[in-house]
Amino acid sequence: MSNGKSPAFYNNPHVRALVYQTLLLAGLGWFMFSIVSNTLANMEARGIRTGFDFLGNVAGFDILMSLVPYDASKTYFDTFIVGLLNTVLVSVIGIVFSTLLGFVMGVANFSSNWLIRKLSVLYVEVFRNIPVLLQIFFWYFAVLAALPNARNSISLGEAIFLNIRGLYLPKPVAEPGAGLVYGAIVVALVGIVVLKVWAKRKQDRDGSQLPVLWMSLGMLVGLPLLAFMVAGAPFTLDFPTLRGFNFQGGITVIPELMALSVALSIYTGAFIAEAVRAGVQAVPHGQTEAARSLGLRDGQIMKLIVVPQAMRVIVPLLNSEYQSLVKNSTLATAIGYPDLFTVFVGTSLNQTGQAIEIVAMTLTVYFTVNMLISLGMNLLNRKVALVERK
Amino acid sequence: MTANSVPSKIFTPKAARPAPVKTTGAVAWMRQNLFNGWFNTILTLAIVVGVGSVLPAMLDWVFLSASFSGAAQADCTGTGACWVFINAWSQQLFYGTYPAEEIWRINICVVLMAGVLSAPVWLPHHLRNRVDIALLLLFPLVAVVIMDGRLLGLQYVSTDHWGGFTFNVMLAAVSMILGMPLGFLWALGRRSTSMPMIRSICVVLIEFFRGVPILALFFMGSVMLPLFFPEGTTVDKLLRVWIVLVLFMAGYMAEVYRGGFQAIPKGQYEAADSLGLSYWQTTLLVILPQVIKVSMPNILATAVMLFKNTTFLLIIGVPEVLNTAQSALNNSAWLGGYASEAYLFVGFVFWCCCFGMSMVSNHIERKLDTTRR
Repeated sequence: MSNGKSPAFYNNPHVRALVYQTLLLAGLGWFMFSIVSNTLANMEARGIRTGFDFLGNVAGFDILMSLVPYDASKTYFDTFIVGLLNTVLVSVIGIVFSTLLGFVMGVANFSSNWLIRKLSVLYVEVFRNIPVLLQIFFWYFAVLAALPNARNSISLGEAIFLNIRGLYLPKPVAEPGAGLVYGAIVVALVGIVVLKVWAKRKQDRDGSQLPVLWMSLGMLVGLPLLAFMVAGAPFTLDFPTLRGFNFQGGITVIPELMALSVALSIYTGAFIAEAVRAGVQAVPHGQTEAARSLGLRDGQIMKLIVVPQAMRVIVPLLNSEYQSLVKNSTLATAIGYPDLFTVFVGTSLNQTGQAIEIVAMTLTVYFTVNMLISLGMNLLNRKVALVERK
Repeated sequence: MTANSVPSKIFTPKAARPAPVKTTGAVAWMRQNLFNGWFNTILTLAIVVGVGSVLPAMLDWVFLSASFSGAAQADCTGTGACWVFINAWSQQLFYGTYPAEEIWRINICVVLMAGVLSAPVWLPHHLRNRVDIALLLLFPLVAVVIMDGRLLGLQYVSTDHWGGFTFNVMLAAVSMILGMPLGFLWALGRRSTSMPMIRSICVVLIEFFRGVPILALFFMGSVMLPLFFPEGTTVDKLLRVWIVLVLFMAGYMAEVYRGGFQAIPKGQYEAADSLGLSYWQTTLLVILPQVIKVSMPNILATAVMLFKNTTFLLIIGVPEVLNTAQSALNNSAWLGGYASEAYLFVGFVFWCCCFGMSMVSNHIERKLDTTRR
């Protein structure tokens, strides 16, 4: 050894890393062990059973709203499914409407109309800065509770009714021959994909562009409409009608679902509008100027230059907004909308007491849903991400 | 005369061009910003008509025909909003059921909190780093001691009576103060390359607390946490909620710091290494200040989110401001639907705080932005 001294072994980073990790692991092991043993002891003392057998037992309670047939004689597993579907329903509604609202309001920020710009800023600043639970309460207890009763419903063309018990919509009922219309929709969707590929090839070959969007829309509307005519109108509408004190028939949207969807859409929409604004602002102005000097029209500049670059910023932000929307949908429990949290973690847990199993199942669902959103958005992100040289 | 031979020589002026369109002044501004094109004209008119039909009725409801003074429902004589309701319940809305003669303690805590949080602004430069961190970490303890009162020989107030808007504010503040350093530790753990075990534990912690709905966390804190402790131990409900909030905050902050770490150039580490700084010296003296600076807007956005999310505690029965509002609405002396008044008032108070915080965030962002000069 040159200086006659080697560093002490406790100064060796590898030894230190090993020691730290062993200590942490030991601590964690002890922590887990004490938690598990405490839990088991506590559950035994309280007479709580363990295991997933309870899922097969009869639940014995009614649920306000269900997308699948459900009554009190069904099992706890059925309550899980009902809650899950209701959560998915409100999440999908929320995601669709918040995206629409957010993009419209985000783009409105760049309007040449002063009033529209101010409206967009007002919307974002007001709804972003108020707790979402407060907004849900406002819509549920202040707005929807002020609607008239069934006899004095607000009606739109005697087909759509709105009253304190909910929103009543006409329901399309399929009759023989409806398969032709469904088939036409599938054909139109396949046609759009084929058209898109073909148009891209054609543009690569001779540089000419086809109006793909209009042709696609035409196909999507025209083909089913044609099938509808050919099959002799195989759908009838089941209109809601007032019988006694309430409406019968049609589709009923309960006020809990309305309040939750409206509040979540408006709240998340404000964040999405902000994301869209940030995305468009992130595109350097030189890009627009360059496109203009190439002679592109305003619409083309937006579609071909600004939007693709803005999407790179917007998509990751959308991902986290969608995930927080799904997580915020658990607030349903505050107004009694029967989502997974209300039904399963609320009522089912109260009746069975099996907290560990039920919470574990519920958390798994939220993790999975968020993972699926993340997966979808990452796929989209890969499509819009900047392709750099290798 | 051969006048016809030189007709072109006669000067005939062209018709004068119209004066250029005005580009300055109110009329020109309106033409450019409100009525440029038929589409914008329609939009402008629609908005003007819409606002014009709603705004007078709203102003009338909020101010003109509203009742302001009084103490009971009978004083609400106007056809508009009944702000008497807010008047009558304001103490509960702000302080919960804390004893009226002890409310000065809450006020002291709020003032202390404001002082501690604004310390970086008023403390002299050379004291900031040392004193401010100590003050911040001391504040939660001091606040709990003052609110509880037993250690100071004051009247004991149990945590069941801590509530109202001040409670939301302080809970958010103390969770933030403890969640920020914890989140930084997690973020450091996640970056560790030499200790894979620590890294994976940190990843699991961060992803868990970010991925789970906060409502589920509160629920676990109030229903499942008691199962984890040895039989016979009771942990105060509020303490359990606080633990949950701190962990939730730490998860989100760790993710915020991660973005900050990514913005630090490698040269900073290399420079610190070449100066002979140790790992903790490098991290605390060189990296942390830059990470905080880079991620300041996101830190404040997360703080706003946490503050808004304290209202979710209503679900597990903590008497925070929204819960107080709900019980006031269900009070038998005040039946008759003052939901709009209650929610508008609470919403307005929240809005002022959150909007103020985002203004501060914008200000700091501009101040710290050294790139644009």
